[in-house]
Amino acid sequence: MLNYLLKRLGLAALVVMAVLLLLFSMLHMIPGNPAILALGTRATPEAIAAYSERMHLDEPVLTQFIFFLGNAVQGDLGNDVFSNRPVTAVIGERIGFTLALICTGMGWAVLLGVPLGCLAAVRPGTWIDRITGVFSVGMIAVPSFLVSIWALLLFSLHLRWLPAIGAGEPGDLSDQLSHLILPAFAIGLGWVGYLARMVRASMLEVMGEPYIRSARAFGLKPRRIVLGYALRVAILPTITLIGMGFGGLISSAVFAEIIFSRPGVGKMIFDAVSDRNFPIVQGGVLVATGFYILVVLFSDLLIAWLDPRVRASL
Amino acid sequence: MSVPPSDPVPAEALELRESASRERREKLSSFLSDWQAVAGLVLVVAFFASAIFAPWLAPYDPNAMDIPARMSGPSWDHIAGTDQLGRDTFSRILHGGRVALYIAAIGVSASLVVGLVLGMIAGYGPRWLDNLLLLLFDAVRSFPAVILALATVALTGPSLTVVLAIVIITTIPSYARVARTATMALRHTEFILAERSLGASTPRILFHHVMPNVIGPLLILAAMEVPVVVSIEAGLSFLGIGVLPPQASWGTILNEGYLVIRDTPWMVIAGGIPLILTTLGFTFLGEALRDLFDPRMGRGR
Amino acid sequence: MTDDTLLNIDGLTLDFRTNRGRVKALRDISFPVRKGRILGIVGESGSGKSTVLWSILGLLAGNAEVMAGRIDFEGRDLLKLTPEALRAIRGEQISVVFQDPMTSQIPVLPYARQMSDILYRRTMSDNEKRKAAVEMLRRVGIPDSDSRVDAYPHEFSGGMRQRAGIAMSMLTGPNLLLADEPTTALDVTMEAQMIGLMRGLREDFETTIVVVSHNLGLIAEMCDDVVVMYAGEVVETGEVHDIFHNARHPYTRALLECDPARIADVSRKLPVIPGDIPDLTRPLPGCIFATRCQRVMPECSSLAPPLVPRGTGVARCHLLDGPLADPAWPPPPEVPTVARDAGEPVPPQVRRTAEPLLDVSDLNVRFRTMGPVRARIRGVSDPFVDAVLDVSLDVKPGETVALVGESGSGKTTLGRTILNLQQAAGGVVRFEGKDILGMKESRFKPLRRDMAMMFQDPVGSLSPRKSVRALITEPLVIHGAEGRNLDTEAERLADMVRLPRGFLARYPHELSGGQARRVGVARALALNPRLIVADEPTAGLDVSVQGEILNLMADLQAEHGLSYLIITHNLPVVRHIADRIAIMYLGRIVEEGPAAEVFAAPAHPYTRALVDGVPQPDPDRRRPPAAAIEGEVPSLLRRPTGCDFVSRCPLAREECRMAKPAHRNIAPDHRHACLFPLRKTPELTETA
Repeated sequence: MLNYLLKRLGLAALVVMAVLLLLFSMLHMIPGNPAILALGTRATPEAIAAYSERMHLDEPVLTQFIFFLGNAVQGDLGNDVFSNRPVTAVIGERIGFTLALICTGMGWAVLLGVPLGCLAAVRPGTWIDRITGVFSVGMIAVPSFLVSIWALLLFSLHLRWLPAIGAGEPGDLSDQLSHLILPAFAIGLGWVGYLARMVRASMLEVMGEPYIRSARAFGLKPRRIVLGYALRVAILPTITLIGMGFGGLISSAVFAEIIFSRPGVGKMIFDAVSDRNFPIVQGGVLVATGFYILVVLFSDLLIAWLDPRVRASL
Repeated sequence: MSVPPSDPVPAEALELRESASRERREKLSSFLSDWQAVAGLVLVVAFFASAIFAPWLAPYDPNAMDIPARMSGPSWDHIAGTDQLGRDTFSRILHGGRVALYIAAIGVSASLVVGLVLGMIAGYGPRWLDNLLLLLFDAVRSFPAVILALATVALTGPSLTVVLAIVIITTIPSYARVARTATMALRHTEFILAERSLGASTPRILFHHVMPNVIGPLLILAAMEVPVVVSIEAGLSFLGIGVLPPQASWGTILNEGYLVIRDTPWMVIAGGIPLILTTLGFTFLGEALRDLFDPRMGRGR
Repeated sequence: MTDDTLLNIDGLTLDFRTNRGRVKALRDISFPVRKGRILGIVGESGSGKSTVLWSILGLLAGNAEVMAGRIDFEGRDLLKLTPEALRAIRGEQISVVFQDPMTSQIPVLPYARQMSDILYRRTMSDNEKRKAAVEMLRRVGIPDSDSRVDAYPHEFSGGMRQRAGIAMSMLTGPNLLLADEPTTALDVTMEAQMIGLMRGLREDFETTIVVVSHNLGLIAEMCDDVVVMYAGEVVETGEVHDIFHNARHPYTRALLECDPARIADVSRKLPVIPGDIPDLTRPLPGCIFATRCQRVMPECSSLAPPLVPRGTGVARCHLLDGPLADPAWPPPPEVPTVARDAGEPVPPQVRRTAEPLLDVSDLNVRFRTMGPVRARIRGVSDPFVDAVLDVSLDVKPGETVALVGESGSGKTTLGRTILNLQQAAGGVVRFEGKDILGMKESRFKPLRRDMAMMFQDPVGSLSPRKSVRALITEPLVIHGAEGRNLDTEAERLADMVRLPRGFLARYPHELSGGQARRVGVARALALNPRLIVADEPTAGLDVSVQGEILNLMADLQAEHGLSYLIITHNLPVVRHIADRIAIMYLGRIVEEGPAAEVFAAPAHPYTRALVDGVPQPDPDRRRPPAAAIEGEVPSLLRRPTGCDFVSRCPLAREECRMAKPAHRNIAPDHRHACLFPLRKTPELTETA
């Protein structure tokens, strides 16, 4: 198990390295002085010289990358071009909004989508299966940013039930929650349908396995067979799916934050792109991909814990 | 005149031909009796037709401004209303479809081909190559599409080419993974071993014997990926990092509509409908095709 | 229905709705199951034998529809029970042993959990349920059952898993135990153990058993009563002695005559039942067997045959009663009723003195068990296992050599290594005197014309998206077919393997096992090879079909002077086709010699265990329950230090544990690897 964990962590580190290399080379691929790119055109010559010194811009590219890597590992992702505050601090005050949004979005999708999929699989061909089927395809088909826009239009501007922009007053939990509802609804909606369909398909596959027939031949109760046997196996591919799904969810969160002006990491990156605030873009991208890699790692570990066959092969 | 002696057509062969065409007919009729499949087909055909024939179908020049009539709702003159510059939204939607079709056609086919080849190589080639490619796919997948797009645009500036590149790069891993898994499953089957024992070369095995068994699920995946690709384009254009104004795209219509959303709801409504219809159409069609051809779903048992 | 009837099936008729139309899978199935007895349902694939079993439990596929009939069990018709009432019976009064323990046990729950789940209807504490599970696992022969009850299925070997499956089914002490091909997934020595175990359980628990199998030996060895099914109908029933010694239906007779284990006369021609099972979407109005029956009369295909009672059962045939009855039927058992294939038995044409065509010496194949990094971390200096260990073997021109072993013996690996499909760790392989081991594929390619391989799975070894025509001409295309007309070549090859030309347009999934096997033979023969390595050539084929393939292979050998290396676990078949036999165990050859001699008087205890392990299709020749050797083939990871067989050998002594016995000859052409062989002299006097 420890072996597996180490191997996976090593692999994750390799992927992060690849990501860093990509980010680094992007800055260096485009023509122009990287210092100006990093500090912005309004930077003073002294600042540019200091930056060149700190990033070892006179050294060979490989050395530069190693220094870049070293700084990143120490948590130094550079400074905000405008406020000159450390990028880590800027991200730190925004990441909470993004995490809350992503986790709430996925959370309600799982809580609704998985039971729906089970129900549809247990009664294939019935009205509940059909309705779930049509609804889930419909939900998958609508891009999440369009859901965000239309939800904003309908619930905030037209019905005026929920606030349209921002993340709520700091310290006021109910206000923050009311600001969370619409974006979380928007990014989770497609996932309700997607999960329902995936759980249904994998449940149907498992329900056809010989060991389910064995359980029926031994006279076990249908409820026990579905929840204790079939779902126990069918949930495994679903966990992988949810883990990988966080990638898409991050994209959706970027849109939701922009549309609802929610001060999260996604909005931060977007604004930084328009401002050509490169250290922020770099840091944000690193945090987003790092988060995603961790989630996938966690889901793999969860499967290893739940599936004795995977555990045995570690 | 004597009839030349000839081999009688074997009864089995006739029966087989008959049963094959019957099977095809049955598949077609089961396809046509599924309302989702028919709806999907109709929507997809409509998407292609409207995009291809947009210049002839559009009632106005998509960039012709009519300032007095700006931001109007649907009317007989402008069935989808007008934008803040008084351009006809319906004409812009039709022309925006051309962008969507362009991205979908090139993006999906390019990543399908590259993903298929890379996936087969990863699944059939040596272990180290497989590991390397997997690492590569993982690294690419670790970038959520929008994040990658933002990072790229931050450096290169927005353009349609960037959108296309992002679409291709981010969707290759899903094709490659499906192709790799299917190839791995085939790799140790007896029929592949049998081909090797006959002396078939690796390219022959890959393209004659592996590919025909891998391509089916990949084509279905491609149908399902079209909505994803169209959404990426619309999403990036919505953020202003894809297609640039004044060119019409569903994303730019939504972008402009979002800016004036407090004044008129019509633009974001009109800009969203074609996007939904297209994605719905391809999703329905993809699902129907999968139900029809996926042996796991189709088997009666 | 008499007092001693536990279960009575009466007029069961069942259809499957498919997109080809309604398949009339069962038609008018009737037979009683008597209390305390073991009833065997025997039939080939497509006979509907398993469907009968599943209809008793009400666990049929969704597209099945019972058209008529009843299944009475303890005064109730099981077909009319509510789902709840049926569920109350399942697992408690009627339980099941499944064919494949690999797939029929849920992989993510430990046995303790799976077994206490079965006891959910009992008012017992969790602790008592666990105790009951441990006790039952111990009863079926699982050592350390109080700790192994917490194991998951994948932690058990195949034989242990089937034992656990039997334990699960016996846990509630059911009145009726159904067993669906309970030994088909197991090796010969395991099969003998399972038969003994189930017979013992029947004694202890007074359970009635219904066992479904295609294996005549298993039926003869285990059962008291037999039901013979063909194409969805019961053709004959009776007590086991009546069926095996006085079969009255032509199909039963034919089936018994085709079983290679029953044929004493080792000629190369095996009897076959020509033709295929009829299309069950449109069954004939008359006798279902009419299309393949040797004694068919014009009326048979239109007139339903009468149901003729006999001493202990019934038979359904015109020959037995009515206007068409033939008092001379059935002929005495020694008179064959099934035609042997045309042509004379072919005399062996082995040139004993000739240089061997294939000469393998000291071949080793090793598999890596873990990556080099992990091996270093764990301190494993040798992260390999020996799949093939110091194997020497030769095949002379025109000779048939059989390589026999259970699963895990390395026989398939050896075959693939010879054909350069698998890397070897050391040794020499010579083909026509030329060293070919580890050649680069580009240099080996021309040799592939001379050495062909046939693979186990008849259908699965054919590329699924290619037509038969493309498949059988592919070897020509690969090796350059300039100037050849591929269409005529395809027809020539189809004719050669007696495959109707109409099949050239078909795809593999549209072929029956026997037809697909012919395509495999045609592919192997396309380039006129000298040697064919055939991996389980009769695997997946019914008894009535495997004779056709073996006869075809023998004819082709005589015609083209082919040599065969046949890899198989099926000893009875080997006896009919092999000149020499090599027995493999854990990657090593333990005995090798002329086929007749090895069979009649084996020198190695393992060979004897294999020969004795085959259940005889004769109820008078049942073995005592203790005859089976114990244990299972150990994993390659746990190869014993001394003789490989030491952990299971009934004759093992202290010396056997010290070192691997070297090969010794008891005759110039007969060698073994045993310190204390069962015989040391070459003479053939001790025949059974």
